[in-house]
Amino acid sequence: MSLFGSKFYDFYTHPDNINLMAGVGKKYGYSGLAAMGHDLNEKTIFPEDFSIYRGVKIQAKPSRIREEIRKYKDSGHILIVEGGEEEINRAAVETEGLDILMHPLEFNNVLAKAASDNSVSIGFNLGLLIRLQGVERVRELKTMKTNLKHARKYKLLLILTSDARSIYDLRAPREMAAISSLFGMTAKEAVDAMSTTPLNILRRKSPNYIQEGIEII
Amino acid sequence: MKTIPTLRDKKRYLAFEVMSEKSINRQELVREILNSIISIYGDKGANEINPSLMSFDGKFGILRCEREKRVETRTGLGCINNIHGIRVSIIVLGISGTIKGATEKFIQQTLINKPEPEKK
Repeated sequence: MSLFGSKFYDFYTHPDNINLMAGVGKKYGYSGLAAMGHDLNEKTIFPEDFSIYRGVKIQAKPSRIREEIRKYKDSGHILIVEGGEEEINRAAVETEGLDILMHPLEFNNVLAKAASDNSVSIGFNLGLLIRLQGVERVRELKTMKTNLKHARKYKLLLILTSDARSIYDLRAPREMAAISSLFGMTAKEAVDAMSTTPLNILRRKSPNYIQEGIEII
Repeated sequence: MKTIPTLRDKKRYLAFEVMSEKSINRQELVREILNSIISIYGDKGANEINPSLMSFDGKFGILRCEREKRVETRTGLGCINNIHGIRVSIIVLGISGTIKGATEKFIQQTLINKPEPEKK
């Protein structure tokens, strides 16, 4: 399968031991991870051709989310809002500068349209499918199915993440693609969600980027 | 008596590697793989996938499945998170048509590339 020849990234992890996680990620075939709330100024040793980005998870009241996003917008970190009730999703999606809205629970066409306008990607948290079982997993699958339906209709960017707390939660890209087929994602979409969308976000975060279509060469 | 070739089950062999906190035995692994597949695809799906563990040495193993159900088998293995409270993750190294092929191509290759540090 030549589909799996590109670079893969996992943009939502909470590593307990960042060195170990980097080693395992490299072994699984990832080119980079984004660690939430980790200070990278520590003495971290990364393997060759492997990079760790810093992510900021924004947790605030719906009324404060806009300010928080504006605060971190130019910091160069990857901004993530954990989706939930409609108010939170709405505040997140309508603010320019957010990168990923992770696993929104009540998603609808209005939010999808706003996300498409502000180029916010929709995150699918496969860690939930790995960790949960039974009725709870069915509920999460249902949410993901709805999100995928809206994302396809409004051509949103998808992103697959593992939400790994330790090295035992991390999965290789092919396994991630296989698990994502549970809620109807095709292999092509899954590969795009793990390589094209993260690369797109990184391109937007680079200092040479000014605006969509304008870049310093 | 041997079945004629056209009537044989078409099968594939998945070479996999287990990462776990403590060592796990074969019986526990078999039960967990079956549980995981049944939990996702139900009894009918598990019958169609027809998984069976050919060999397992504590770290590497080979699992047989139906040829058309490779992705489903991968999903089943990927959704295994813990076995009796021991945290586990399973990574598929590769898929082959014969046990010999799976062993030579994926498991021995891994051992040659990264020799296990056995100092204790």
